[in-house]
Amino acid sequence: MNQHWPVADLDPVRKLRVMAASIPGTGLTEWIIDAPPELVWQVASNLQAEMPRLVRDFRSVTVTAGPGERLVMHARGYLGQRARFDVVLRPGWCWMQSRFLLCGMAAAPDPDGTRFGFLGGLRLPGVTLLHPLLHLIGPAAVRLDRLQTDVQRHLGQQ
Amino acid sequence: MNPIDAGEHPATAGLPGLVRAAQDGDSMAMAELLDVLAPYVARLCGPIALGDGADAAQEALIAVFTQIGQLREPAALFGWVRAIAIREAVRVARKAHRAAPAELRDVPARGDPQLASEVRDVLGRLAPHHRAILVLRDLEGLDEQTVSDILAVSTGTAKSRLHRARRRFRQEWDR
Repeated sequence: MNQHWPVADLDPVRKLRVMAASIPGTGLTEWIIDAPPELVWQVASNLQAEMPRLVRDFRSVTVTAGPGERLVMHARGYLGQRARFDVVLRPGWCWMQSRFLLCGMAAAPDPDGTRFGFLGGLRLPGVTLLHPLLHLIGPAAVRLDRLQTDVQRHLGQQ
Repeated sequence: MNPIDAGEHPATAGLPGLVRAAQDGDSMAMAELLDVLAPYVARLCGPIALGDGADAAQEALIAVFTQIGQLREPAALFGWVRAIAIREAVRVARKAHRAAPAELRDVPARGDPQLASEVRDVLGRLAPHHRAILVLRDLEGLDEQTVSDILAVSTGTAKSRLHRARRRFRQEWDR
């Protein structure tokens, strides 16, 4: 009968909340998008096109494939700064880590369409000293309204 | 009922290294460890917190990862996680005012084809601490001493609580 015992449904956005709450120096933004999760993820997971749209400080991004779900992403900022990210990408979940930066994205079904989460963070010694300001990092660094726009445009093309 | 023990969990081969890396602040390792632990925690929290199982699992995993630095022996990971998950699940279930048994009018009709739904409904009529001991003994297959340690009660209390929980489960199941 064990297989009939109820199992909690821990969706990818809840997992992103776990990461945000557990890693000092991160901020999480959640957004409801009026479109199915598969479609939202189809747009969001195109890192090369979408990351510069969503992250204010990214001017351009190039992605190279790695083994399995692993990718490598090179990002360039507007002031010429560069960052190399190790990436894990799968349906509904993306985690990215560079030497100094963290990014995460997740999507899960919601009664109104899709709940989309974006996590941004710094990997710096003593980052917890910035604690009172950390909740501003995620919302200030990302433009999730643009994702909604891009998803609607994608819907219009279908 | 088949007990689940740490040896049956997948992806445990490289676990010590993964735990150490997560403790050192490698978020890639932490995300990978989350993939390993999430299904286990979801299985423990579901039968105890029921409708609030996802909240309980989320809270349990936050507690696990904020305290991961305190885990000295990676081999003890699953036992350590289990204790946190059970504690959080009972706490969330009690907070959600689910301690009171459900009304009898909620009892499903006999012959309901959805057995999983029946199990869930029967569990819903038990108190959170009774669900917790059923999960530990009958789902996880732990011995009385380990269960009493996790629940911070004497072995006598654990024994009598298990007896009452099983009797209550059978009574509700046979209705």
